[in-house]
Amino acid sequence: MENRITAEDKNATFVVLPAYNEATRIQPVIESIAEKGYNMVIVNDGSSDNTLEVILDSKKKYPNRVHVYSLIINRGVGIATQTGFDAVLKFNPKYIVSMDSDGQHSADDLDAVIEPLVSGRAEAVIGVRPLEDMPKSRNIANSIMNLLTRIFYDVDVSDSQTGFRAVTIDALNKISINAQGYLISSEFIREINDNDIPFEEVIIKTIYTPETQAKGTNYKVAIKILLQMMKHKLFD
Amino acid sequence: MLIYSVIFPIISLIAIVLFYLRYKEGKNSFSSFLIWTLMWIFVIVFSIFPNSSLIFARAFGISRGLDFIIIVSLLLMFYMGLKLYYKLERLEENMNKIVKEVALNNEIQLDDKEE
Repeated sequence: MENRITAEDKNATFVVLPAYNEATRIQPVIESIAEKGYNMVIVNDGSSDNTLEVILDSKKKYPNRVHVYSLIINRGVGIATQTGFDAVLKFNPKYIVSMDSDGQHSADDLDAVIEPLVSGRAEAVIGVRPLEDMPKSRNIANSIMNLLTRIFYDVDVSDSQTGFRAVTIDALNKISINAQGYLISSEFIREINDNDIPFEEVIIKTIYTPETQAKGTNYKVAIKILLQMMKHKLFD
Repeated sequence: MLIYSVIFPIISLIAIVLFYLRYKEGKNSFSSFLIWTLMWIFVIVFSIFPNSSLIFARAFGISRGLDFIIIVSLLLMFYMGLKLYYKLERLEENMNKIVKEVALNNEIQLDDKEE
């Protein structure tokens, strides 16, 4: 199935990578994506470490594959991803992927994630992490987030908090994302659903390290997401 | 005479003068200057003639003057909190727009960073 992705398809694919303080982790991510033949739009989210320098070091190796934008202050993964989605339009892409830049997602999954888009079966894909791969604490938190996404946004997915997603350019033009932080994951799914965009779930590998675990959906973030969902549901 | 009936009018007068100066500098609109002045005048009246609050309290069906003052103050604080919240949210949204726009207009090239 994966060999149906041609170099042309890859050339028309742009991976959006929001990066906040990822200096120690982002380099292998960028290089593995570039090695696979995909293009990237990397958005430095006002990092306080030398993430931007590290990104530019990688850009030296792959000057045509890597496009870099930088938010002057930290505004959260939602804004960074939105910036990436806006920036990517300048390059006339056909398929747009967004991935986490901390190394928890593998570039090996890219082919599988865009395959449903290339073959025309779907216009959006969410990369789902198998629940059994997740550490226990994450597993429970994620199940709760999935349930909340079902209650508030009326969509049933097996991993609502995934940062690995792909859309066609048509689908991207239809959806509008306003979330500032981690709510973006659920909001993306809601937008896909509300706009009747056909989507597929693709199982992806997730590499959990103590570092990647410190970020992402912890209980504080979860409560914030819940409040934002309620606000959306009630007032928007 | 009680202490508060001296101190509160003094504070109120200072506040009115400060608000007037802000209005003169163009930092406040005339309407907000008017509303605040009115509020401070009430503070002066209530502290010099505490019983006058009873008139307002009765009008709203509240039995004690102090209760009326406390309820009004709480409502005012709640309103101001809400107003601030919305203002902050709007500011955040505007800031996001600006930050995004600045980033989008400045794709970072390799030579930019090298001195």
